[in-house]
Amino acid sequence: MSVNGSRVADAFTDGRTALWALVGLFLFLLEAGAVLNFVVSLTIDGLLAIPGVDAVGFLTAVENAVREIPTLLSRETIPNQGYFDGSGYEGTFLGLSPAMAWAFRATLVYLYAFAAFGWGVWGYRIYRREYRAADWTPRDDVFDRFRGHKWGIFGLVIVFMFVTMAVFAPALGPTTVDQNMRNSYGHEIDYWDSDSGSVETILVGDANLDSLSQGNDQNVEPWTYDDYGRFHPFGTMQDGSDLFTFLVVGSRISLVIGVLSVALSASIAATLALTSAYYKGRVDLSMVLVSDAVMAMPQLLLLIMLTTVLRESWINEVYSGGFLLALIFAFTGWTYMWRSIRGPALQISEREWIDAARSFGQRPTTIMRKHMLPYVTGYLLIYGSMTLGGAIISIAGLSYLGLGVAPPTPEWGRAVNLGQDYVRTGSWHISLIPGILITLVVTGFNALGDGIRDAIDPQSDSAGGETAGAGGGA
Amino acid sequence: MSDTLLEVENLRTVFHTDKETIHAVDGVSFDVQRGETVGLVGESGSGKSVTARSVLGLVEEPGVIEEGSIEFCGDELVGGNWDEHRGDIAIVFQDPMNSLNPVYTVGNQIKEALRIHQGLRGQAATDAAIELLEDVGIPDAARRVSEYPHQFSGGMRQRAVIAIALACDPDLLVCDEPTTALDVTIQAQILELLDELQREEDLGVLFITHDMGVIEETTDRVNVMYAGEFVESAPVEELFDDPKHPYTKGLLASIPGRTAGGDRLPTIEGEVPTSTSEPTECRFAPRCPHAFDACDEVHPERIAVGDPDADHETACLLYDDEFEESPPEDGVVADGGETA
Amino acid sequence: MAIPVIWLGTSMTWYIIFMGPIDPATRLLSEGQVRNPAAYEAAQTQLGLNQPPLQHYVDWLSSLIVFDLGRTWLLYQGSSVNALIMDFLPRTLWLGFWSVLIAIFIGVPLGFYAGMRSNTVADYVASMGGIVWRAMPNFWLGIMLLAVLGSSQAIFGFSWEAIGPNLTSGISGNPDLSYMAGNPIAFFTNPNATLQAIKKVAPAAIVLGSASMGNEMRIGRTAVLEVKNQDYVELAKVKGVSDRALVYKHILRNALVPLVPIITSEAFLLIGGSVLVESVFGINGIGYLFFQAAIQGDLPLVGTLMYVFILMIVGINLIQDVLYTLIDPRVGLEGE
Repeated sequence: MSVNGSRVADAFTDGRTALWALVGLFLFLLEAGAVLNFVVSLTIDGLLAIPGVDAVGFLTAVENAVREIPTLLSRETIPNQGYFDGSGYEGTFLGLSPAMAWAFRATLVYLYAFAAFGWGVWGYRIYRREYRAADWTPRDDVFDRFRGHKWGIFGLVIVFMFVTMAVFAPALGPTTVDQNMRNSYGHEIDYWDSDSGSVETILVGDANLDSLSQGNDQNVEPWTYDDYGRFHPFGTMQDGSDLFTFLVVGSRISLVIGVLSVALSASIAATLALTSAYYKGRVDLSMVLVSDAVMAMPQLLLLIMLTTVLRESWINEVYSGGFLLALIFAFTGWTYMWRSIRGPALQISEREWIDAARSFGQRPTTIMRKHMLPYVTGYLLIYGSMTLGGAIISIAGLSYLGLGVAPPTPEWGRAVNLGQDYVRTGSWHISLIPGILITLVVTGFNALGDGIRDAIDPQSDSAGGETAGAGGGA
Repeated sequence: MSDTLLEVENLRTVFHTDKETIHAVDGVSFDVQRGETVGLVGESGSGKSVTARSVLGLVEEPGVIEEGSIEFCGDELVGGNWDEHRGDIAIVFQDPMNSLNPVYTVGNQIKEALRIHQGLRGQAATDAAIELLEDVGIPDAARRVSEYPHQFSGGMRQRAVIAIALACDPDLLVCDEPTTALDVTIQAQILELLDELQREEDLGVLFITHDMGVIEETTDRVNVMYAGEFVESAPVEELFDDPKHPYTKGLLASIPGRTAGGDRLPTIEGEVPTSTSEPTECRFAPRCPHAFDACDEVHPERIAVGDPDADHETACLLYDDEFEESPPEDGVVADGGETA
Repeated sequence: MAIPVIWLGTSMTWYIIFMGPIDPATRLLSEGQVRNPAAYEAAQTQLGLNQPPLQHYVDWLSSLIVFDLGRTWLLYQGSSVNALIMDFLPRTLWLGFWSVLIAIFIGVPLGFYAGMRSNTVADYVASMGGIVWRAMPNFWLGIMLLAVLGSSQAIFGFSWEAIGPNLTSGISGNPDLSYMAGNPIAFFTNPNATLQAIKKVAPAAIVLGSASMGNEMRIGRTAVLEVKNQDYVELAKVKGVSDRALVYKHILRNALVPLVPIITSEAFLLIGGSVLVESVFGINGIGYLFFQAAIQGDLPLVGTLMYVFILMIVGINLIQDVLYTLIDPRVGLEGE
C-alpha cells in the first residue's frame, strides 16, 4: 500500500500527470450534471424494474436535484429552440438561427467526446511511460499494431461516434422525444406567423400535423425549417415529428441491446467453450449437439418465435422489450461465438501448463479462469465486435417487422418501416437515412473487429471463414 | 567453357515496402556449368532463396530485379524472357508439403509437365509418368501415380517433386533447401538421388542450403552469402581447407565434429541484418570477432585470396593490402580490432 | 449427427411453444371464445393439450416424423398444412435458389478478380463495395431497390419493367411457377415463363443474397491471395504452365475449397432472411407464412414450420459434406 501511496504522491508532484488529472477534472466538471443524471436515472429504471419497490417519490426528488446541476452540453446551456420575432431570434444561443445553434451544440458534443477519448489515451500513455513496472508488455504491441491499422481506426472512429450519439442522445437532438413525440400535446412553442406578422403560440402536436412528410405535396426535407421555425437536420417523419431526434434516441436502444446481448452471449460462449475444452469427450460432444440444434433453427426465425411467445410476459415490460430482446439474442446467438472460440480453447487446453496446474490439484474452475480465459478473451473481442453489427441489423429487422422494441420507443428499423410508403416520393429521407446509418455503423463494427483481429494476431489469415463479419441475417 | 548454363552478373533484387526498400540480393555474380553443382550457403534471411527465385523469374511485387543480368545458355532472362526457357530450369522447393497441388493427383501434375515439354498425352503420358516415378525410386509407381499428394509421405513427395522437375527435361536444376524439411535418413536418400540424376542427365545444379555438411557432400563450388552479398566463393575443397572470411570460418566452426577439443560448439552471435540502404560498411562487422575501425567505414570489395589456381575470392578488409590489419592465424580467435 | 440434431431442435421448438408462458389454445381463440369454456375445451382437445405433456410430446413428434402436419387454425383457416407448405415452399425455394446462384456468380468472380489484381484500384473499389454491400440491412436494401427499379425510367432512362420478359403484375410479388407444376422439364421447355419467373424474383434474390455475395467475395479474394503464393503455384509456373492454365487450374480450383463451407453456411442466412425479404417483396413463401403464423398466433403452425426449416438446414449441411469431398480429395479419405 505504501508503494501505491508514494506513487500517487509522485503523480501529483510530476507536472505532466498533474496536468493530466486537472484536464480530466475539468472535462468531468463540464459534464458532471449529465453524468450524475445518467447514473441516477439508470438506478431509478433499475429499481422500478424490480417489482415491489416503491420509492418513486424519493427517487424523483433525487432526479430533479441532479437535473439542476448545470452542464455545458445541455440544451439549456446552448438552446436552439427559439423563434423569430420579426427582427431576430429569441431564445436561441447568442441569438443564432436555430440551425446554427443546434449545429454548434452538436459540434461541441463531438469535440467534447473526442477530447475525452484523447484524454483517456493520453492517460494511458503517461501510465505506460511513467508508472508501469514493465517496460514492455505484449499488449503494447497490440496497441501499436492497431494504431497502424487504418481500416481498424476508421472502424473505431465510426463506432466511437455512434456511441457518442447514443450517450449524448438527449443533448444532440434539436428537440426531445418527450416534447416532440411522446407528449406533443403537452408542450407549446412560440413561432413567427408571417401572415399576421406577430409571434403566436401553438401546441407541438398541432405544429407537427402541419409539418408531415408524406410525399411531394407535404414534405419537410432534410436541413430545412418547417412552418413553425423549427429546424430539422434530417427532415420530419411521416407524422411530423423530427427524424433526427428519433434516430439519435433510437441509437441508444440499439447500442444497449446490442452490447447487452453480445456481452451475455460472449459470457455464455466463453463458459461453455472453456468447459468443453477442459473436459473434452462427452461434454464437448453434447455441447456440439446442442449448439448444432440451436443453429439448425435460423436465428431470425427463432427470434420471431421467441418474441411472439414471450410477448406477454413481465420481462417484456423492461426497457420497452429491449431487455427481453437482448436475452433472446444471447440465447440464440451464443452458438456462433462458441463455434469460433471452441477451437482456440481446445488448443490452449492442450498446453502443458494446464496439465501442470491439474497435476498439483488446482480446481478446474480456477484453471479455466486463470489459465485459459485470458487466451480466448482476444477472440471474444473480435467476434464480439463483429456480432454487434449483426445484432444491430437484426434488431432493426425485427422492429421493421413490428416485433421487438415496442412503439413508441424510437428504433431505426421502425423509421425504415414508417417511411417505406414514401420512398418513391419526395419524402424519401425517412427510410433512406436510417438505412445509411445502419450500414455505416455495421461497417464500423466490422472494421473495428478486423482491426482488433489483425492487432491481436497478425498472422491470422482472414480466409478463415469463421471470422466473417456480421452481415445479413436480416 | 562453352558449357556455361547460367551466368549471373551483378544481380540486385530489391523489395519496395511502404516504409523502406530492402536489398535482398545486392550485387551477386556467379555461374553454373553443365554437370556442375554450385552451392549457395548462408543463414536464413541472407538472400539465398531470393537469388534462386530471381534466377527462376519468380520474383513478384513488391520485389523487383533492379539491376544485373541473368543469362541462360547465352540468352538474357531479365526483362521477362523466362517463358522461352520454361522447363529448362526446374526447381525443387524446401517443403514438399506445399509444392504439390493438393487437389490433383501426383500423376496429373507430372503429366502436365510432360504434355507441355514433351507433347505426351493420354496413355503415353501416364506410362512416362510411371516411369519417372520409378526413376526417382517410388515403389509401386503404377498405383501411386493416381494417388493424391496427401497420401504420400514427406520423402515420397519430394521424390515426386523431383519427378515433376525431370518431366520438364531441364538443363539446370535449382534445389532450394530440398532436404531441410525431411528426416535425416530421408535427407541422405534424396541427396543420393539428386546426385545420381545429375550424373545421368548431366545437369547443372544450383544447390541452396544453410547446412555446411550438405554443401561439403554435394557441391563442386561454394558461394557463401551474407546479407544479400557473396562474402566468399571458392571450390568446395579449398573453402573447407582454407576458409578466409571470418563468417565462413564461423559457419565451418559451428558444424558439429569439426572443432577439435572444446565441449561447446562455437556460434556466431547475433543475426543477419536486413539491408535497407547502399552499404558503406562491412555488413558483417557488428558480428565479426576480427572487425577493426575501417570495417565500419569501408565496404569491402571482392579480392582474390588463397591458392591462385583455385579461383578463390572473398570480400573482407583483413585481406586487403590497403588496410593495416593482418589476417588472423587460423584457429586463433583474435579479439576485436582496437589494436589498429 | 443429423438425426439427434433434428430431434433436439424439434424438441426445443415443442418446449418453447407448448410449455412456454403462452397457452397456445388461448391464442387460437378470439376474445369471445376464450371466455366460452366449451370452445376452449375443444381447442385444447384438438391440440391434444389435455393429455399429459409427455404423451403430447410423443404424439406431436411422431406426427411430424410421418409428415402428418394437421390443419391450420387461424391462417387460411382449416386448410391442410401439408398443402399449404406445398403451395408456399416452391416460391421460397425458387427465391433461395436464385439468390444462391446470383451471389455465387457475382460474388466469387469479383472476389477472384480482386484477389488476382490485389492492391490495385479495381481491388480497392471491389473490396470496399463488398464490405458496404454486406453491411446493408436486407429489408432496407429491398425497399431501396424496389424504389429505384420502380423509377428506373427516370433514373437510368430505361424502364426495368420494359426490358426483357414482360411482367404482368408489377415488379414485385409472387413469381408464377404454376407452369412447372408436376412437370419440372417445363423449366427448359417453356423458357419464356421461366425468364418471367426469374425476372420476378431477381431483385429479391439479389437482396437476399447480398450478405452472401459480400462474404463470398471477401473469402474468394483472400483465398486467391493465399493460393497465389503457394509453392505449388510457383512450381507449376516453373514447369511452364501457361498463365491462363495457371490461374484456372492451379489457383482458382484451390481457392474454391474454402468457399464451399461459406456458400452452404449462407443457407442459414438465406432461410432466416427470407422472412424479411418475402415481406418486403410481397412473395408468399414459407418465410412469410411463418411470420404471419407468428404474429397472428397460430403457434402450432409456427412449430411445424420450424420443423420444416430444421430439416432444410440439416439437409443443406449434408449437401455441404458431399460437395466438400468432391472438391477437396483430402477430406473424406482422412475420415476413414
